[in-house]
Amino acid sequence: MSVIVAILQAVLLVAAAPLVSGITRKIRAKMHSRTGTDIFQDYRDLAKLWRRCEVREGGSGLVSRAMPPVFLGSFVLIAAGLPLFMQACPVPILGDIITILYLMALPRFMFALASIDSAGSYTAIGGVRELLVGVLVEPALVLVLFVMAVAAGSTNTGFMAAATGSLQAQPLVAVVVAGVAFAMACYIEMGKLPFDLAEAEQEIQEGPLAAYSGPSLAMLKLGVSVKQLVVASLLVALFLPFGAAVDASPAAVLAGMLAYGAKVLVVMVAASIIENAVMRVRYKLLGRYTWFVTGIALLSLVFLVIGI
Amino acid sequence: MLELIFVSLGLSCVAGALSLVAGKTPAASKTIACVGGMASAACAFIGGAGALLGPAVHASWSGPMAFASFTLLLNPLAGLLIAVISALAFVAWLYGLSYFDEYYEKGMGVIGFFMNLFIASMNLVILADNAFWFLVFFELMSLTSYVLVVIDQTEKSLRGGFLYLIMAHIGFLMIAISFFVMASAAGSLEFEAFRTSAFAPGVATVAFVLAFFGFGAKAGMVPFHSWLPQAHPAAPSNVSALMSGGMIKIGIFGICKVCFDLLGATGGEIGWGVLVIIIGAVSSVLGVVYALGEHDLKSLLAYHSVENIGIILLGVGTGIYGWAAHLPWLAAIGLLAGLYHLVNHAMFKGLLFLGAGSVLHATGTRNMEVLGGLARLMPVTALCFLVGSLAISAIPPLNGFVSEWFTYQGLIGAAMDGDIFMRILFAFAVVALAITGALAVTCFVKAFGVTFLARPRSEAAEAAREVPAPMKGAMVLLTVACVFLGLGAALVTPVVDSIAAAMLSVPPVPAVEGATLVSLDTASVVSPLALAVLMALVIAACALVRNSANRAAGMKDDPQTWACGYQADLTMETLASTVGANVKNFMGPLFAIRFTVNRAGAAVARLFSRALGLEKTAPSASKAPEPVLSRFDRDRTVGIAAAPHRAPALSHSVLSIVSDLGAWFSRMESGDFRTYIVYIVGALVFFLALIILVR
Repeated sequence: MSVIVAILQAVLLVAAAPLVSGITRKIRAKMHSRTGTDIFQDYRDLAKLWRRCEVREGGSGLVSRAMPPVFLGSFVLIAAGLPLFMQACPVPILGDIITILYLMALPRFMFALASIDSAGSYTAIGGVRELLVGVLVEPALVLVLFVMAVAAGSTNTGFMAAATGSLQAQPLVAVVVAGVAFAMACYIEMGKLPFDLAEAEQEIQEGPLAAYSGPSLAMLKLGVSVKQLVVASLLVALFLPFGAAVDASPAAVLAGMLAYGAKVLVVMVAASIIENAVMRVRYKLLGRYTWFVTGIALLSLVFLVIGI
Repeated sequence: MLELIFVSLGLSCVAGALSLVAGKTPAASKTIACVGGMASAACAFIGGAGALLGPAVHASWSGPMAFASFTLLLNPLAGLLIAVISALAFVAWLYGLSYFDEYYEKGMGVIGFFMNLFIASMNLVILADNAFWFLVFFELMSLTSYVLVVIDQTEKSLRGGFLYLIMAHIGFLMIAISFFVMASAAGSLEFEAFRTSAFAPGVATVAFVLAFFGFGAKAGMVPFHSWLPQAHPAAPSNVSALMSGGMIKIGIFGICKVCFDLLGATGGEIGWGVLVIIIGAVSSVLGVVYALGEHDLKSLLAYHSVENIGIILLGVGTGIYGWAAHLPWLAAIGLLAGLYHLVNHAMFKGLLFLGAGSVLHATGTRNMEVLGGLARLMPVTALCFLVGSLAISAIPPLNGFVSEWFTYQGLIGAAMDGDIFMRILFAFAVVALAITGALAVTCFVKAFGVTFLARPRSEAAEAAREVPAPMKGAMVLLTVACVFLGLGAALVTPVVDSIAAAMLSVPPVPAVEGATLVSLDTASVVSPLALAVLMALVIAACALVRNSANRAAGMKDDPQTWACGYQADLTMETLASTVGANVKNFMGPLFAIRFTVNRAGAAVARLFSRALGLEKTAPSASKAPEPVLSRFDRDRTVGIAAAPHRAPALSHSVLSIVSDLGAWFSRMESGDFRTYIVYIVGALVFFLALIILVR
C-alpha cells in the first residue's frame, strides 16, 4: 500500500506542477489587471518545447546534459517520500529530514555546475546566486527542523507529521513559531518576489535556463515547478498534516489526498498573492530578510528550551 | 597482525635507504621507493585491517633507555588508523610512479627516503604505548614531513614549512606537558600505567585540555589552523594527500586515545565534550568560509581539511559528552560518526588532492582562474574529482553523506535528552554543520566548475592532456573507495561501531538493520544503497524520456555561447573570484574576524619585537608602482608565477615573534668564549641548586 502511495504522490505532484504554476500565473495576471492565459497554459508551453529541436551551446558538456534529469528526478524522489497523503512516510528510508535536506543539495549542486558549464556570465551569476540563497536560508531551515525534531522526538518527517497532527508535538508555542519561520524560509526557497521573478530569465533562479532549449528546457521548467510544489509540500507535511490519513486504508488515503490538494493550493495561492503584492528589491538585500527569518527561527528555539 | 606491520616498517626502512643510495639515478631511486613503499603499505594495510575486530595485541621490550621500555599496542582503533593511512600511502606511492618524474632534479632519493620514513613514523606513533616513544615518533613524523614540505625550495614552501615546524612544536610541547602531568601522577611513562590509574579530576582536565589543544594543533583545528593551508599545498601533491588525508588524523587519534583510553579509568567531564563541540563547530564554519576565498586549488582543499576536522570533532565531541554523561547510545553514535568521517575524509580528501596534482601535472598551475575546460581534455581526472566533490559535499548516497547523517543524528539525539544549556549548544552545532554543508556545496561547485568546466582560459589549460596510467589508477582506486564507503555503509558501519564500542568498553549499539542504517534515539533510518538504486532509476527514467524526445525532434550544436546579445569572450566566464565576491557580500563579518585577528597579531608581534629591543628595518625604498591590472588579467599574465605576497596573517605574526626570539638569542651568542664559560658555570650552578632542592 505505502509503495502505491509513494508512486501516486510522485506522479500526481509532477502532473499537477504545471497546473499550479498556471494558477499562479493567472493570479499574477489578474492582480496586474490583465486577462492572462488560462490556467492550463503551462501544459501547452511544455508540450511545445517538447517537440522543438534542442540546441547545445558551445562550451557545455556532459554536466549540462545530465542536469535536467538529475534536477527533476531528485525532486520527484523527495516528493515520493514525504508524508503528504498519510501522517507517515510511505517510504521510511526517504523520510529522514537530513536525507531530504541533502537530497535537495544535489539538484542545487548540478544546477550551479551547469550554469558555469555554459560559459556565459548571465547564466553563471544566476547559478552562483541560487547557491547563496541556499546558504542564507539554510540556518533558519535547519533551526526549525531541529526544533521540530526535538519536539517530535524524531528526525523522521513521518513521525513529525504524526506528532503535529495529533497535537503531541510539545511545546506548542515553539512549534507554531517554528511553523511561521519555516513558511517564510520556504517562501524564499521557492524563488519568488521580492528577490526573484521566475519569468525574468536572467535573474536568480531561472538564470541557467538561458542556456537550455527544447526538451531539456521543458524538463527543467517542469523541474522548477515541481521544486516549488515540493517546498510547499514540505511545509504542509510538517506543519499542516491535518486531514492526512492516520491509517493506511484506501478511503482514508483518498481523503488525505483531497485534503492535501486543498492545503497545498491554499499555500501556493497565498504565496502568489504575497509575491504580487510586494515590490521587487535588490538581490543584495536578501541577507536582511534571511537574517530576519533566522531570528524568528531562533525565537522558536528559545521557546523550545524554556518549554512554552 | 603486529608481525605484518613489522614487516611493513622494515620494508619502508629498506626502501627508503636504498632509494637514498640510488639517488644519483633518479628513475631507479623512484622505482625502488615507490614499489617498496607500495609493498610496505600493503602489508601494513592487511595488518591494520586484521586488527579491526580482533583483540588488542600488546608487545613490549625493555628498550635502550632505562626509563622507558619500548611498548607497542595494536587495538581496533590503532588498526583503523593504520589501515586508513596505509591505504592512502599505497595510493600515494602508486601515484608517485608517474608524478615523481617531475621531481628528478629536486632530489628523488631524498623524497623517497623521507616519505618512507614519514609513513613508518606515522604507523609507529599509532602503535606506541609509551609516552616517551610516542613523543619520539611524533617528532620524527613532524620532521620527516617538514622535509617533504620544503622539497620545492621556493620562498612560499620554505615559509610554509617553517610555520609548520613551529606550530608542530607548539603542539608537541602541549602534548609533552600533558603526558608529563599524567606521568608524574601515575609514576610511570607507560600508557598502561596511565590507563589503570584514576587521576584527580583537576589533573585529568588539565591533561585532557593540553592534549586536546596539542593534538588539535596537529589536526589543524581553529585557532591552530593557519599553518595547514600553507604547509600542505607546498608538498608534492601525493604527499599533500597523505598529510591532509592521513597525518592530521593522528591528531584526532591522539585526542581519542587520551580521552577514552588513557583517562578511561578516571572518566570524563561533560565540559570536555562542550569544548570539543564548540571548537569543532567554529572550525567547520571558518574552514569552509576561508576555503571560499581561495583561488589556489590546493589551498582551497587544505582549508577544507580544517572544515572536515571540525566535522569529525563534532562527532567525537558528541561521543565525549555522551560518555561523560553516561548516555551509552549517544557516546557510541557520536564516536561512530566521528570515526566514520575520519575514514571518509581520508578517502575523498586524498582523492581531491591527487586530482589537484593531476591538474598541476597537466597544466603547471594550481590557479583556478587560468584553468577551465579541463573536463573535455582530462575526462578521467574530471570524473574522479567530481565524485570527490560530491562526496565531500555530503551528497547522498556517497560516503560523506553517511557520516554526516550519523553526526546529525548524534547532535539532535543529544539535544533531545539534554537540559537547556545542552539544547542551545547542540542547536548551535547543528546550525554550524548545516551552514558548513551549504557552503561546501558552493565551494565545490566553484572548485570543480571553475577548474574543469566552461572553456580553457589559458594556453596551459588548452594544452592539458590526460595524466599517465599510474596516476589515473590511483585516483580511480580512491573513487571506488568513496563509492564503496557510501553504498556499502551497511557493511562498514558495524565495523566502525564495534571499534567505538571497544573504545568505550560497552557492547555495540545497533546501528544497522539489514541494509538500512538505524538511529535509535531519533527513530530514523536511511539506506544509502536503496537510495542509490532509487536515484539511479528515477534519474535514468527522466533521462531516457528526455533523450527519446531529443531523438524525435533533433539536436544541433551552436559553437557560440549566447551572452544576451554580446560577443561572448573568456572574461565573461565565472571565476573563483566571482564566487568569492558574491559570498563576501553576505559573509563579510566572518572575513572581518580574520582581518581583525591578523591586525591584532601583527600588533602583538611589533610590541614583542620592541620589547626585545629589535627594530625592524623599514621596508626599502618604495617600489615602482605596479601597472593597474584587473584581477583576471593579472592572473592571466602572472597566474602561473608565484602569487603576490599576502597581507600579514596571524601565522606570520607568530613567525615574526619566533624569528625575533632567535635574533635575541643570537645576540647572546657573541662568539666570545668567555661568555660561554659564564653560561656553562651558570647552568652548572642552576642544576646543582635544583638537585639540592629536590633532594
